[in-house]
Amino acid sequence: MTASPAAVDAAGWFAPEQLPMLPQRLVEHLLSLTGAPEVLISIAGIAASAGTVLLVFSSAFALLSLIERKVLARAQNRIGPNRAGWFGLLQPLADGIKMLTKEDVVPDKAEKFLHFLAPVLIVLPAILALGVLPYGRDWTPLPLEAGLLFFFAIGALTELSVFIAGWASGSKFPMLGAMRAISQMVSYELPLILSALGVVMVSGTLSLQEIAAQQSGFHFGFIPAWNLFTPWGLVAGLLFFICSIAEANRSPFDLPEGESEIVAGHMTEYSGFKYALFFMGEYLGLFAIAGLGITLFLGGWQPPVPGLAYVPSWVWFAAKISVVIFLYLWIRASFPRLRIDQLMRFAWLCMIPMALLTLPAAAIWHFTGRGAFSWLVTLPLLLVPWIILGNVFNRRLAPGRRRYRFADG
Amino acid sequence: MIPLLILAPLILLAAVGAVWKARPVHAALFLALALSFTAVLYLALGADFIGLVQFMVYVGAVAVLIVFSLLIIHRGDESEEAARRRRALPLGLLCALPVPVVILAAVSRGAPTTVEGAPVLSVRQLGTLLFTTHAPAVIAVVVLLTAVMVGAALLAREPQPDRRP
Repeated sequence: MTASPAAVDAAGWFAPEQLPMLPQRLVEHLLSLTGAPEVLISIAGIAASAGTVLLVFSSAFALLSLIERKVLARAQNRIGPNRAGWFGLLQPLADGIKMLTKEDVVPDKAEKFLHFLAPVLIVLPAILALGVLPYGRDWTPLPLEAGLLFFFAIGALTELSVFIAGWASGSKFPMLGAMRAISQMVSYELPLILSALGVVMVSGTLSLQEIAAQQSGFHFGFIPAWNLFTPWGLVAGLLFFICSIAEANRSPFDLPEGESEIVAGHMTEYSGFKYALFFMGEYLGLFAIAGLGITLFLGGWQPPVPGLAYVPSWVWFAAKISVVIFLYLWIRASFPRLRIDQLMRFAWLCMIPMALLTLPAAAIWHFTGRGAFSWLVTLPLLLVPWIILGNVFNRRLAPGRRRYRFADG
Repeated sequence: MIPLLILAPLILLAAVGAVWKARPVHAALFLALALSFTAVLYLALGADFIGLVQFMVYVGAVAVLIVFSLLIIHRGDESEEAARRRRALPLGLLCALPVPVVILAAVSRGAPTTVEGAPVLSVRQLGTLLFTTHAPAVIAVVVLLTAVMVGAALLAREPQPDRRP
């Protein structure tokens, strides 16, 4: 994973670039001083590394729960939480205490074991997925050869656990939410994976740190050589972004938990800390999928402007993830929820064909030298279907103009 | 050998659960468990790619399977299930009997093979093999799966004459 502790001098440990690895190195170094066996040292090092990820992202989760409420409040011309601490900064703490002290209600008709299992299962894949992302030039907590595959394989568990939550509750709204969740997630997972495939084809690897490293450099000295700034990458990146909203069950794709329709969907029969676990899983999953999108299309930890390479790479990753998460919040504040048939139709008639088209586009891009000529060939290949699909959607499938009986005369 | 000894009983137990459970959702969840243990077995054997694909494809597929099982199997079936199960048990055992016999015969007949270290294939090599040497098999599977999907969609669809497309 990293060079052995002895090889790196202590001054290097505190270099800004190496900071995220500090806990792991400290633990390994301290243990090696005590003369612990090699296996124990490496296990403790991995645990420290995982602990770093967990600590950073669970505090980010706490912060995001506040930021989301603040941003939504601002978008709706409100003030938002401002009572607990300065700017409401202690609000997450207050929420946490409230959640922990609430009664844990399990319905009589629930399948007790599965009802308990679901909140645990939903946090697990999100945490595991966070482990394979390359956060910095040197820091990937779990550098897998097939990291992308691992990410998606673990993601399959999310669908199942959402379904278990809904089904095991033994009541109607959760069941409806679970059915919606499964059909939505299965439908949107297809274009999600297909849009990531183009990156794999062009990069020629499934390893996330390799994919991030390949997007270095700048075109014309100022446009970053990210996958987003290619014709297929632009389309795939947009598709990936839309699908990631759907996969994370966020507005406007939050049908599984649409409050105005089915209370809270699969979470209806949960209370107290189990309910909080669902939120934790959701937000950690959001971080994970945003991090994956950044790695695939936005150059991972690469700086966006030339000449800023002295800023530690993990700072760039954090900055990019903040921007993407803000986009999610913005979208949530701006768009109304879709209807289930609109959602499915959009996935199968628009997203999947477009995602499939990015594959030949990526192949052509790869084999025509990735230059101006490739732009000339691949851009029409993607643009024309895009326009046609958009037109079809707007004309045929969108609801017609509403007529108001009295106002329109 | 040790991973096999630990995982094989677990896989077997989960598979028996998948067959034994009366409620289709329970059965499907046990199936997911059995398939994930199989994935763990692949991972333990060092076949990372196939292990992860096993997990992604099959655990994801079980989610779809559950949806289909809920759509196709209507309510009321569950209570009859126990009685039907008792009637079907002898026939099922009769059908299942040849499987261990065939496996035992195959294993005892063939010469014991010793592999000098597991063959290590990169993802690239696997892909090349799949899309060149084994392309006909892949195409056949694709056709089969498409047919199955269309069939399932037809089964799930309730006859609704006056429904708008």
